[in-house]
Amino acid sequence: MFTPLYKFDFFGVEISFVVAVIIGIMFGFTLERAGFGDAKKLAHQFYFRDMTVLKVMFTAIIVAMIGTLLLNLVGILDMSLIYLNPTYLGPQIAGGVIMGIGFVIGGYCPGTSLVASATGKVDGFIYIAGALFGMLIFGETFPLFQDFTVSGFMGNAKLTDLLGLTPGVVAFLIILMALGMFWGAEILEKKFGAEES
Amino acid sequence: MQDTKEKYWSPYVAGFVLGLVLLATFVVMGRGLGASGAMMRTVTYVVDTVSPEHVDNNSYFAKYAGGDKNPLSNWLVFEVVGVILGGLLSGLMAGRFKWKTEHGPRITPKGRWAYAFLGGGIMGFGARLALGCTSGQALSGGATLATGSWAFMMVMFASGYVVAYFVRKQWI
Amino acid sequence: MQEITITSGRHMHHIDPHLTIWGWEIPVYLFFGGLVAGILFFSAVYFLRGKEDEMHATVRIAPLFVPLLLSLGLFALFLDLEYKLHVFRFYTAIRLESPMSWGSWTLAIIFPLSFLWALMHAEKVFPNWRYPYAWMENAMTYVKKYAKVIAWLLIYYAAILGIYTGILLSAFNARPIWNTAILGPLFLVSGLSTALAFNMILSKNKEEKHRLGRIDLIAIGIELFLIIHMFMGFLASTQIHVEAVTLFLGGPYTAPFWIFVVGIGLIIPAFIEILDSLHKVKSTLIPAFLVLFGGLMLRFIIVDAGQFSSWVY
Repeated sequence: MFTPLYKFDFFGVEISFVVAVIIGIMFGFTLERAGFGDAKKLAHQFYFRDMTVLKVMFTAIIVAMIGTLLLNLVGILDMSLIYLNPTYLGPQIAGGVIMGIGFVIGGYCPGTSLVASATGKVDGFIYIAGALFGMLIFGETFPLFQDFTVSGFMGNAKLTDLLGLTPGVVAFLIILMALGMFWGAEILEKKFGAEES
Repeated sequence: MQDTKEKYWSPYVAGFVLGLVLLATFVVMGRGLGASGAMMRTVTYVVDTVSPEHVDNNSYFAKYAGGDKNPLSNWLVFEVVGVILGGLLSGLMAGRFKWKTEHGPRITPKGRWAYAFLGGGIMGFGARLALGCTSGQALSGGATLATGSWAFMMVMFASGYVVAYFVRKQWI
Repeated sequence: MQEITITSGRHMHHIDPHLTIWGWEIPVYLFFGGLVAGILFFSAVYFLRGKEDEMHATVRIAPLFVPLLLSLGLFALFLDLEYKLHVFRFYTAIRLESPMSWGSWTLAIIFPLSFLWALMHAEKVFPNWRYPYAWMENAMTYVKKYAKVIAWLLIYYAAILGIYTGILLSAFNARPIWNTAILGPLFLVSGLSTALAFNMILSKNKEEKHRLGRIDLIAIGIELFLIIHMFMGFLASTQIHVEAVTLFLGGPYTAPFWIFVVGIGLIIPAFIEILDSLHKVKSTLIPAFLVLFGGLMLRFIIVDAGQFSSWVY
């Protein structure tokens, strides 16, 4: 195993920044091509008119998930070296609720608002200003709910441990679930998408 | 609207490419993608410029910029610079670069701006509480099968669908 | 350009091991110097080729900004001087071997010339232009007879000014990163490129914009060549040069240099300009702004890195 390249010291911090820009360009390019620079397209997700967000996200998750599993299997990628988001159920669920509200009201998530601004969307710029303001408020009020932000800590918990299944089986279940969702999405789009004039 | 829409990639193609980008990030860097972390660092940078003492006294800001640390010297910050460039290039090449405000038929642009600011503010707060946004938690955490990220993702979409009814005038 | 009293060999605050006396003022001064040189150069060249009407913004409008831009640059330089009243000393001593000396003389010549040049074109840009006194009118009629001479002088002095903005650094050979003859041409070409970008922003004529864009592509190509050439030269040189250049190849200046100067300032605008010339994208001013940003970053980073690199560790 020799990847992740960065963790095996193929290059240093400074080069990693150059890599960051290149990966970021690909990321931003893809988001824009998917139509994520358009708030209406994103928000119509929540009215079953345009299920692009769901389709893109789950396809991406599946591709990256299968890719990492395969590369790990053939001995190229050391999965234990990939950063795993630690689980803090309390703040993550509360944050999820808040972000769902913010998503429908604001029309973007932070990443897509950057792409929207880059293509000249005024509401994208205003959304970013709002997000920066919200983060400032979070930082300023942080001491008030500091204890809550570490509640429900489960360490580097993975779905595999939670369900007691092997990664392959979990991946298979996720793919099944996604296929079901894609199928449902196509039906919903046919039903509600037609209203769009 | 109709003709520009055709130029978007099919969602499955876009998702496949996005998955490859994410996979490349795992293989090259050993970490996922993100966006809100870079925004937080920008906020911290501004606060640090105005009042370094304030940053050192606040445990949250200090994590990013305590002492001599430069909050902008970070992988995510450079990645976000790339995201902006990538979005710009794609928009230019597809003829979609245009100054305008996206809004539904029943709301004025000014009304949309107010919603955008409010929604952005809520999202910014929530993203810091949830330790990441759609890119950092749902996408990157989802692909690495992190339990908390999946919980976050499910709750976020559920919450969005519940609230959607109340702000429908903005969009449809 | 701060005067520093040197009393002992080493361990001098602000000089050893890292020179930290130049802040934002010098890069800004070099940026405006290069921009002004480029504006005057293209204005004079297209004037002599009789393209005043096709290249209206380049020949006539851009020079109107020169006195202002040059003043801003010189003001930045002035802020950098520790003994501001000693400014006249640059002119009491003419030393051919000192670039600071001939740089200041070049500026002393180019400033009034550019002012006359701007006045000549102001009459054409503003149809209601009137001089308050008759003698001024007469004087300008006299000056206009020598327009071609002034144009030639401008080309000559603009080139010197452009090269000087780079030589100013490389003459300071105590700093390995600046110790290369390529900085002169590199800063000259970069200055020309920023001027083309500036003209593109001013121009309202599609033809002119496209022509400027094509020349800018050539300038960017030359710049990339010079940058690669510079690094190859360093790598083939002494150990100290090799160590100095690793500042840009893995060292602390790697990310800013390759991302902001080479990526955002050269490759991405070149890419957009190529697409533009192939009519694949709508013409925008984005590449022009990126080029201006890249030019400014180049000067900031080279000035900063030069102060960081040193012969002794």
